[in-house]
Amino acid sequence: MLRSCAARLRTLWALCRPPVGRRLPGSVPRPELRSFSSEEVILKDCSVPNPSWNKDLRLLFDQFMKKCEDGSWKRLPSYKRTPTERIQDFKTRFLDPKLMKEEQMSQAQLFTRSFDDGLGFEYVMFYNDIEKRMVCLFQGGPYLEGPPGFIHGGAIATMIDSTVGMCAMMAGGIVMTANLNINYKRPIPLCSVVMINSQLDEVEGRKFFVSCNVQSVDEKTLYSEATSLFIKLNPAKSLT
Amino acid sequence: MIRRCFQVAARLGHHRGLLEAPRILPRLNPASAFGSSTDSKFSRFLPEKTDLKDYALPNASWCSDMLSLYQEFLEKTKSSGWIKLPSFKSNRDHIQGLKLPSGLAVSSDKGDCRIFTRCIQVEGQGFEYVIFFQPTQKKSVCLFQPGPYLEGPPGFAHGGSLAAMMDETFSKTAFLAGEGLFTLSLNIRFKNLIPVGSLVVMDVEVDKIEDQKLYMSCIAHSRDQQTVYAKSSGVFLQLQLEEESPQ
Repeated sequence: MLRSCAARLRTLWALCRPPVGRRLPGSVPRPELRSFSSEEVILKDCSVPNPSWNKDLRLLFDQFMKKCEDGSWKRLPSYKRTPTERIQDFKTRFLDPKLMKEEQMSQAQLFTRSFDDGLGFEYVMFYNDIEKRMVCLFQGGPYLEGPPGFIHGGAIATMIDSTVGMCAMMAGGIVMTANLNINYKRPIPLCSVVMINSQLDEVEGRKFFVSCNVQSVDEKTLYSEATSLFIKLNPAKSLT
Repeated sequence: MIRRCFQVAARLGHHRGLLEAPRILPRLNPASAFGSSTDSKFSRFLPEKTDLKDYALPNASWCSDMLSLYQEFLEKTKSSGWIKLPSFKSNRDHIQGLKLPSGLAVSSDKGDCRIFTRCIQVEGQGFEYVIFFQPTQKKSVCLFQPGPYLEGPPGFAHGGSLAAMMDETFSKTAFLAGEGLFTLSLNIRFKNLIPVGSLVVMDVEVDKIEDQKLYMSCIAHSRDQQTVYAKSSGVFLQLQLEEESPQ
């Protein structure tokens, strides 16, 4: 299953200052971003502080931005939607054109960015290419409730999936989730901040094994652990 | 009775992670999973009269497959013991008069909270779903139609939205089948992408209940069974809710 594929495509394209001499295998060469006014709304980077971010999240954000100064860590931008031309590119490469529905495209939004500030998923991801680590700082808002006062298990699954998926994609280009295995240790209180630490464990041909843990800001509480398997897509084979 | 409490406490010790105050001994009475208190559990969960809006009802965004399958299951509620579960904006509305065990309950001054699977209320844009439950067989069926705000890859549902729907169906099934309250684990094997706006049928079964845990499995497939979207298993922790103290 494609994991936030569109989000990753956007991120790859939008990463400024391409790494010297290196392009991820299978990725599309970064075209120039033209800013039409409607595109500006779509291309607003959501992974930066806004008024709904609480103190913990801002503190962690600042700590990780410091780590970016020497180039070992990179902050990943994150957008609500894919610009139309990128969608066309994805469809051409991987999908059977006869089966795509046009009408739905105009309304679509990336699931994790379908909320107003502070109500749903507030998050930012940082990547360390040497260690193959993706860290996601995540604050879950009141529209993500499960048991009263706690975040829904499915919302946690969504963020874990987005994080490990992004980690796999940095290493493998366009990938699809095959397996996701989550152990919940403690419920996460609503509106608190957690760190999702993910790590690329192994690569076997087209298989990418990624694991992660979800911890409190002070790293003293372990909320959940997960393992996952991603498969690199074969552009010669249609997905539909 | 005292020995039972200690046995329960010992078992709860294994779940220390979830119960941060191990001295608390929730009243765990296995007999209550069946028998008379089941009725009270159902009557609280399925109030006969309520002002609350039930979101698990057909609306203009439902595709024709979903509408017709919904009608089929409505027939089964009359003939073979199936129950259509209501779906309110918040889980708190489902457990009126009850609360999480002390030690776990948190003060809830968060303002407008919504259950995750009802986070997007515009018809057809987010999660459109309804769950039918069969108490004797301990089975559920969820009819799920993901909207364009649940997108992952262009034109397809985000895998997290399917994970959320599976967790939610497991959750309601576990609660009604055996007082399951918290997810312990979720294991999902994804097979095929789900086009936005199409119908997903999720068959859920309780495989066993043992050691204070409910084990369930789920297959998510197209209506004609030709496409399997994903298979999963979930384990939930049994925990009894407590009565809210009278104000």
